[in-house]
Amino acid sequence: MALLDKFAAVAAIRAGLNTSSHDPTQVVIGTIISATEGIVEGRHTILAGTNNYLGLTFDPACIAAGQNALATQGSGTTGSRMANGSYATHAALEQELADFYEMPYGMVFSTGYAANLGTLAALLTPGDAVLLDADAHASLYDGCRMSGAEIFRFKHNDVVSLEKRLQRLGERAENCLIVTEGLYSVLGDCAPLRQIVEVAERFGAKLLVDEAHSLGAYGDHGRGVAEAEGVLDRVDFVVGTFSKSLGAMGGFCVSPHAELKLFRYVSRPFIFTASSSPSIIATTREALRQLVARPELRQTLWRNARQLYQGVQSIGFTTGPEVSPVVAVRIGEKEAALQCWNRLLELGIYVNLMIPPASPDSSSYLRCSVSAAHTTAQMETILEAFRQLRQN
Amino acid sequence: MNSTKDSIEQQIIALLVSYLAPRWEADPQARTEVTGATNLTSDLTLDSFQVMEFLMEIEDALDIAVDMNSLSDVHTVSDLATVVARRVNA
Repeated sequence: MALLDKFAAVAAIRAGLNTSSHDPTQVVIGTIISATEGIVEGRHTILAGTNNYLGLTFDPACIAAGQNALATQGSGTTGSRMANGSYATHAALEQELADFYEMPYGMVFSTGYAANLGTLAALLTPGDAVLLDADAHASLYDGCRMSGAEIFRFKHNDVVSLEKRLQRLGERAENCLIVTEGLYSVLGDCAPLRQIVEVAERFGAKLLVDEAHSLGAYGDHGRGVAEAEGVLDRVDFVVGTFSKSLGAMGGFCVSPHAELKLFRYVSRPFIFTASSSPSIIATTREALRQLVARPELRQTLWRNARQLYQGVQSIGFTTGPEVSPVVAVRIGEKEAALQCWNRLLELGIYVNLMIPPASPDSSSYLRCSVSAAHTTAQMETILEAFRQLRQN
Repeated sequence: MNSTKDSIEQQIIALLVSYLAPRWEADPQARTEVTGATNLTSDLTLDSFQVMEFLMEIEDALDIAVDMNSLSDVHTVSDLATVVARRVNA
């Protein structure tokens, strides 16, 4: 096969998505109006697929912090922290994240993807064993692959499946890593972290939890599902992103293990990436302050999540297994899901289209992500659009 | 006692037929004979995710641990049997 021939298959898949009026991979928000509204193809559109859980992207304090950093520290750092040095604000954010999680060590990466890649590739080496939830995010798979460790998948959120695999590893189980997420981003279901922690401790395995979609949404302090389950102090590594609840860009790892301080010497995604620009760090730090100072954002987020989850169920749709800021609406066949997604866009509602193999069970879904910034009226408009889908 | 690769291949074929049964029920045209030479992706139209899912079925049926890295050179049922036999006899 010639080098470029493989793209014929990609083109065929893309053509299949483009049979109706809009291509779900090519949506352009021509003008962004607020955390929950934009103009798409000249049409006012409610954004319900942006993971902007706390709605902080237009928060005045975050914007002011970013503007000030841009004016006083410049537009970028022009290199990696290893080569060019860190700005004081990078180190400050690392300390603030560690403090937020009540863990001694924190490390910041330039993207959430790099955080997972960089943490796993530093932590694992060839010969190590890692047990990965089957529905884990691609960045977790890629980080495990990059490390060269042996990867064993366990069935999604299935503690018995995890336990069986640990038993089969024998003595190796004591030195292995279990990787899971807090909130899974397609169906909006949470990991049974209390049980997973108990199994991990019984076998002496270490545990890494990705709280990318749960930071800001779960737990009394918004630290994620591990906090909500009361096991945060028994997790070895928490990774997450700034690009969802914190409305910025970047990622992090916090840990009770002092070895995290040494990751920066071996983590290639950290060493060979330019560090985050000062304005990004500034908006992230302010967003973290807002997350802590305004627990009412979390309350509003959950009120909206309940309204949408229960609302689409009452219309007659099948949803994900539990109320969460991610509301997955099961459509079934890919073609039907594509039609529904198009219809919603025409009605001024933007959601995500999830089709196999990106969806976990060979079904297709319309994935909505709820924001604290959504108004009750916007939630009603979204539900009315789903009613129209049902009628058609 | 070591299991032969042939006996493992027969077990994998039986598991594969059972794994594919719901799909074949929904689409009888897709039903096909499965042999050692059957290609998992081109003959059975399994995508990489489904191959990994099926690997978990094999692991549980034979009570073994197979790392997903070892799937990189697996194309046919026979290739899969070779990988699994290595684990069963380890």
